[in-house]
Amino acid sequence: MTAGLSPSARRSVWLRQFLIQGCWNYEGMQNVGFAYAILPALREFYAGRPEEALKAVKRHLEYFNTQPAMGAVILGASVRLEERVAAGEADPRSIGMFKVGLMGSLGAIGDAFFWGALRPMASAAGAILALVVHPIAGIFALLALYNATHLAVRTRGFAAGMEGQEGAVAWLKRAALSVRTEDRKLAAAVLGGAYAGTYAAHHAFLGGDAFHSSVLFAVGVGLIRLFTGLFRKAVSPSEILMFFFLLGVLILWD
Amino acid sequence: MAWRFALATLLGGLCYLDRTAACQIMLHRPLVVATLMGAVFGNLAAGAQVGAVLELLYLARLPVGASIPPDDTGAAVFAGTAAAVASSSIGLDGGSYTALLLLSVPFAELGKVADRYVRKVNGRIAHLTAEAVDRGDLRAVEHGLLAGLTLFVLTGAVLSLAFSGAGVVVSKFLLPRFGPASRLEFSAILPVLPLLGAASVYSCSRTERTAAVFFLTMAAVFGATVFFRWAV
Repeated sequence: MTAGLSPSARRSVWLRQFLIQGCWNYEGMQNVGFAYAILPALREFYAGRPEEALKAVKRHLEYFNTQPAMGAVILGASVRLEERVAAGEADPRSIGMFKVGLMGSLGAIGDAFFWGALRPMASAAGAILALVVHPIAGIFALLALYNATHLAVRTRGFAAGMEGQEGAVAWLKRAALSVRTEDRKLAAAVLGGAYAGTYAAHHAFLGGDAFHSSVLFAVGVGLIRLFTGLFRKAVSPSEILMFFFLLGVLILWD
Repeated sequence: MAWRFALATLLGGLCYLDRTAACQIMLHRPLVVATLMGAVFGNLAAGAQVGAVLELLYLARLPVGASIPPDDTGAAVFAGTAAAVASSSIGLDGGSYTALLLLSVPFAELGKVADRYVRKVNGRIAHLTAEAVDRGDLRAVEHGLLAGLTLFVLTGAVLSLAFSGAGVVVSKFLLPRFGPASRLEFSAILPVLPLLGAASVYSCSRTERTAAVFFLTMAAVFGATVFFRWAV
């Protein structure tokens, strides 16, 4: 079951979701982007009713923020809800409540999945292939690994949202993003370990004998643990890099 | 050289657009950006070499809520350009490579400041948009979004021009001032940088299950690589 939206308006809303952060700001965050994305649907639902169209647009200019790819499912479901509101079958306030209720939890799920698991996995795969095979192979792997999932979530999430709130919830259950997050994290750990091992081996080989190599490996493991501990204490990578830069200046000074 | 800067500005602007405002299909990642800048300034492989390390360095900082991570796209514009230019003059030895990676840090922080400023100006745009909608102008939403996008892309283009210019200046005038011996000493820091990137991946992917997997894979790859090299 899809919303009674013309195919061209539906296509337009789907495409506009890619600009949901186009006017990202500290006050409303993705509010202008969300209103922009849903506008073709509102124009269709409230054709000939300018006052109601204005009220609908104002509803979507309220504060909104979620992980951008996960915004697709909320956008689809909001279109469906707006259709019901326009037909007088639902209370306009239910749209705001639905968006506010879902944006936080989907934002947290999306951040953990996209930024915490999928992107590190794609980045590590891309970096390894760029160094070992060819830069273009690395870039291709990075873009393909990330976007195969990213675009699927945007497409299927939007379609599920267009089936209504129940469709959105059913899709979120089927998608099992928390399980997929664990899988992607595991893949990222394997690739990150391979990346660290390759570099550590390169420098260990330059170092000489087996004992020397073992010591360098232990130092590498210790440094990774140290950096991870510093990240957890909110030390930024930039601060660590600046420390090493100053260390380099001191080396040159001598 | 002018056409190279024009191309770097154009490509940089598009990559910056992908960073926040549009699509997020990862065209803004350092591996992509540094390789592009390397290609524009004459050495794709040199750009990719720095991009592959920069790619992982800032992963631990997630763009969650209102927090803005360091601008690794800007760092890649600088380092990719500088690496390509250095490779055709003094050569991209370990010392130059290390120096470029470390010198990219201020650019990542500068880009972050610019990003914060753009988002503040966008707040004003959003406010004006809401006022126009209150007056009955529905098209203001489209105009507001277009203004926000334009601001993002223009800022990205200006940063790309400035950072690629800085990359050329550093590689042509700063790095050659240090002799090969000094650069060799500086390269002592190099082994630490990829490990910082690996720590970023480990930090993101760390769970009870993955911690052991990370270090076991590291040990396996390390052992296999060292054995293979000695055997050969």
